[in-house]
Amino acid sequence: MRRMTEATGTTYGVGIGWRPEIAGFVAALPGLRFAEVIAESLAPGNPLPPALAALRERQVAVVPHGTRLSLGGAEPVDPARVRHLAQVTELLGAPLASEHIAFVRAGGMEAGHLLPLPRTREAVDAMVANVNRVQAELAVPLALEPIAAIFDWPDDELDEAQFITEILDRTGALLLLDVANVYANARNRGTDPVALLDRLPLERIGYVHVAGGATRDGIYHDTHTDPVPDAVLDLVTELCARHRPPAVLLERDGHYPPAAALRGELDAIAEASGFPLIT
Amino acid sequence: MSGSLADRQAALVATLVAGAPLPPGFDDRLVGVARSALLRKRAREVARHWPLLAAGLGDRWLSVFAGWAAARPTRGALRDGWDLARQLAAEGDLPALAAEELAAREAGWRYDGTTAPRRRRLPAVRRAGGSWVLQVAGRIWTLPPHRR
Repeated sequence: MRRMTEATGTTYGVGIGWRPEIAGFVAALPGLRFAEVIAESLAPGNPLPPALAALRERQVAVVPHGTRLSLGGAEPVDPARVRHLAQVTELLGAPLASEHIAFVRAGGMEAGHLLPLPRTREAVDAMVANVNRVQAELAVPLALEPIAAIFDWPDDELDEAQFITEILDRTGALLLLDVANVYANARNRGTDPVALLDRLPLERIGYVHVAGGATRDGIYHDTHTDPVPDAVLDLVTELCARHRPPAVLLERDGHYPPAAALRGELDAIAEASGFPLIT
Repeated sequence: MSGSLADRQAALVATLVAGAPLPPGFDDRLVGVARSALLRKRAREVARHWPLLAAGLGDRWLSVFAGWAAARPTRGALRDGWDLARQLAAEGDLPALAAEELAAREAGWRYDGTTAPRRRRLPAVRRAGGSWVLQVAGRIWTLPPHRR
């Protein structure tokens, strides 16, 4: 509980995922106070890339976002990956770090992307054990992000809200709520995204992700390379009407649009969440 | 569905990246959609490391890569592209631009096809179609030089 108040004590507003390709755009955002960097893209032995160091000098909080720890894997998380995340977190002076409720490798093979866990007690136990291993090395809170899943396992024992809440309860971790993932899962499963919001512990949100996607093969894909749909922005509004999180961050990972379009998305997120414009 | 979480996760990953059969109970169509999405993402990552390989194949890039990669788990984007380029070269199907890119990598790095590539410390020269690629102290020259 102590960890929660520390992370939620500050309000940061609208943020953006820092990527080398848009470093110039991010540097030119006058109101920016919150950003995120892919943890695996940094080398803790080296100084920060100058563009990130400049953000830190401006007092922009930069959170490391791990993508390859495979916390939901049945095997214990690789200690070298845990150490890397802890060192990067320290290098950034970050107020928190984040990873996913997912696995990315098994049986010696890399999946290349985040894969869903079966929503079983056994998977909760594996996830909790690995989160505890990470928390033992981190000096700041860890936030966990539920993913967008294209398919589900056949033998779920818990529904999504129970599964997420159980993991958060047993680890004391914060929630990194990706509203685009909530939207994608609800749309692909034919369920109500707002009903899921109503069953999640919103007061434990460390921050929120927003991203774009596209429909392909009859499935909504959370691509991070397409515009943010209005339905996702509406979900941001629904969320903030219930509980406004400390930060709402746009993730964009390729097919970068012109700066004006990206500024437009940040402004739309500010409007949807009630945060000040950062552009 | 039976088996430990570790076994079941391994079976699912093998289905997605190594061409193994679908574990019982999963939705065949949805897992297939996920498999295609993974291949597209992997192709983008390989194209970032091997831009001339992807550009040289043009419209064929995604289908050539997907055909090669569907049953081969990744060994990282650098090695995936390298292995594919070598195979295409052996089959006489490597576009000229991509051949030069491959030759430059071969001249700069020692790669035995099974362990991670290592930078060469000594100068090396490799042939790429009608030209030669020379590496000295990590710098690459193409001979004869391209006209710009």
